[in-house]
Amino acid sequence: MGAEFYNDLHEKGLISDGSFARLNEPQMRPNLSVHWEIRTLLYIGVVLLTGGLGLAVYENIDTIGHTAVLTLIGLIAGGSFIYCFKTTKPFSWNKVSAPNAYFDYILLLGCISLVSFIGYWQYQYHIFGTDYGLATLIPMVALFFIAYYFDHLGILSMAIANLAVWMGLSVTPKALLLQNDFDKAILTNTYIVLATILLLAAFLTDRYRFKRHFKFSYQHYGVHTGYIALLAGYFHYYDEYIAAVYMLTLFLLSALLYTDAMKNKSFYFLLLLTLYTYFALSCLAMRALFRVGDEGALYLAFFYFIGSALGLIFLLIHFNKKLKTA
Amino acid sequence: MIAYNKSWLNNLRVLALFKAHLEQQRITDEEFKAITNAYRVGFYTTGFFARVGLAILTFVIVLFGDGLLSLMFWASGVVSAGGWLIFLGLLSYGALELMIHTKHHFRSGVDDALSFLSAAQVIAGFAILLYAGNENYLALSAIICLTTLFLTIRFLDTLTAAICVFSFFSVVFFGVEKIGSAGLAVIPFVMIIASALVYLAVMRIKNDIRLINYQHCLAATVVVCQLTFYAAGNYYIVQTLSDEINGVAKPIALAPFFWMWTFLIPLAYLGFGTKRKDILLIRISLLLIAAAALTFRTYYHILPVDLMLTLSGAIVLGLVYAITKYLKHPKHGFTLEEANEANLMDNLKIESLVVTQTFGHTQTPQNDGAKFGGGEFGGGGASDGF
Repeated sequence: MGAEFYNDLHEKGLISDGSFARLNEPQMRPNLSVHWEIRTLLYIGVVLLTGGLGLAVYENIDTIGHTAVLTLIGLIAGGSFIYCFKTTKPFSWNKVSAPNAYFDYILLLGCISLVSFIGYWQYQYHIFGTDYGLATLIPMVALFFIAYYFDHLGILSMAIANLAVWMGLSVTPKALLLQNDFDKAILTNTYIVLATILLLAAFLTDRYRFKRHFKFSYQHYGVHTGYIALLAGYFHYYDEYIAAVYMLTLFLLSALLYTDAMKNKSFYFLLLLTLYTYFALSCLAMRALFRVGDEGALYLAFFYFIGSALGLIFLLIHFNKKLKTA
Repeated sequence: MIAYNKSWLNNLRVLALFKAHLEQQRITDEEFKAITNAYRVGFYTTGFFARVGLAILTFVIVLFGDGLLSLMFWASGVVSAGGWLIFLGLLSYGALELMIHTKHHFRSGVDDALSFLSAAQVIAGFAILLYAGNENYLALSAIICLTTLFLTIRFLDTLTAAICVFSFFSVVFFGVEKIGSAGLAVIPFVMIIASALVYLAVMRIKNDIRLINYQHCLAATVVVCQLTFYAAGNYYIVQTLSDEINGVAKPIALAPFFWMWTFLIPLAYLGFGTKRKDILLIRISLLLIAAAALTFRTYYHILPVDLMLTLSGAIVLGLVYAITKYLKHPKHGFTLEEANEANLMDNLKIESLVVTQTFGHTQTPQNDGAKFGGGEFGGGGASDGF
């Protein structure tokens, strides 16, 4: 598509004289951006370095001594934070960009060191005694402060994970599915509280414009934790009436999320709520069909999945259109 | 040959071109709007997340639909035959053609899922038929190659193109293996030459205007060739394959050559990538440098792990520091500025997720795929495509 093509468009009146001239100027090849390559390398470098140092300490703990190790980790953390406080841009409740390419990673290094420092100290010298709540509360508060003060989304995620640890859980999605024992009702309910806190944080972040770009992280973790915990609660109390409460709460969550996703035009959350709600509805439908439990019910189940999935496709297409035109 | 409306495909290209012009402010918003109106695209295409959602639901429908059919025909006994899967695959293929021709789906998730499923079913059906007696990798590779070749030609999909080339190389591999001990000795060289030949062939035809719709497929082909070209001579791979085929671990011939290959090719890629401003080749070379380091580490433990990790971390950070210093102002056509492209992830803050998961972040597979086409290209194998 060269000059002739532009000529043609120009004659048709689709592009003005000025634009036509600009299109026909010899076009400089834009600079090739290696931004993400460099950032990836930085990340890999930090991971390799901290991993190597950690391993070195672990293997030589007998000869180095705990005090020396603690001092070293403390120095790394302290050094990183001093650098960050010195170079950071002034604080604002809006988005603040990093002053240079290394800043984010030095801050990350500092935070990882800080968490290991406190963990190590507690493990070796029991500074908090057996008060594990306090031992996890302090890094959590520190991480939230750092995330807000320096405006770092990665640290915010770390802080949210720490909040979950503090509440006696682990929140990274993988761990949620693989490690946790959902049979314990108390854990499930703690998850629901956690999800409520996160979703509330997402709502308030947006409402009062405190670092609005943090909303996604809160909502992302809140939505997954909330749905998985509600479904777990439903299955835990499967044969009791209280199971209905979990289901109804789930549908309420979907309704709230739907209005929010439509308002913010986020197809990601729309898709999540559709699929989670579909799963919940299908659980109910299968429950009803298995009650019947003969061969006809089996056929009905097949028809249910084919029909409902078709319906859902039309629903998603409809949502998609609605988001585009709204 | 192409299932999608060709003039719409052309209009898509025109719009992409002017989108770039718009971003660099060579044309105005109004002009872009006028061009969008003049070059209408009737495809039903969705964003990333809608595509994932529609693909998942299409999977549900097809799997339960097939389940229902199998249930109904269970008594007749046809279900247990390999041909049944091929039949189901052809049904999926029919649905795919129908969706494209009546609903104009294009990369919407529905067509991706249907083509993937039909390919998987047809290939699995043939595999069952073939494996009734004994294993035959050569025939299986050939079937995969032909199936994906047909789908690539008809549906312009990059993933099927990549699988097609890859299965073509496995056809070559298993073919040479069949020759016997003479074949075994030359396999690495045959694979290197095959990759080079396919690469050269693709580079020759890449800019042919008649193949303009296949640009992405050809680019994917090039990447596969670059990877197999390296892998064929990588010391670890050569040694492992030789042990596997011979049944015993013994030193391979020409070891120095393969060691040189292991280290020099990634550096050569990095050099060419930098010279040609080929970001894909640069990324590949970085991956391959890591592969080379791992290969070395597998055979020589000159450093304890902790020291090696610390050192390599320091080297990487030092390199990054040097590059950022050097590129403080854009030089030689490279810049550290973020590219001015739309964020395709729906404002998803990917990096923050990666930090908590540390490499655990799974990429959603692009379910693109494949379907079989009867003997249209039966004679010439994959070489037809190049």
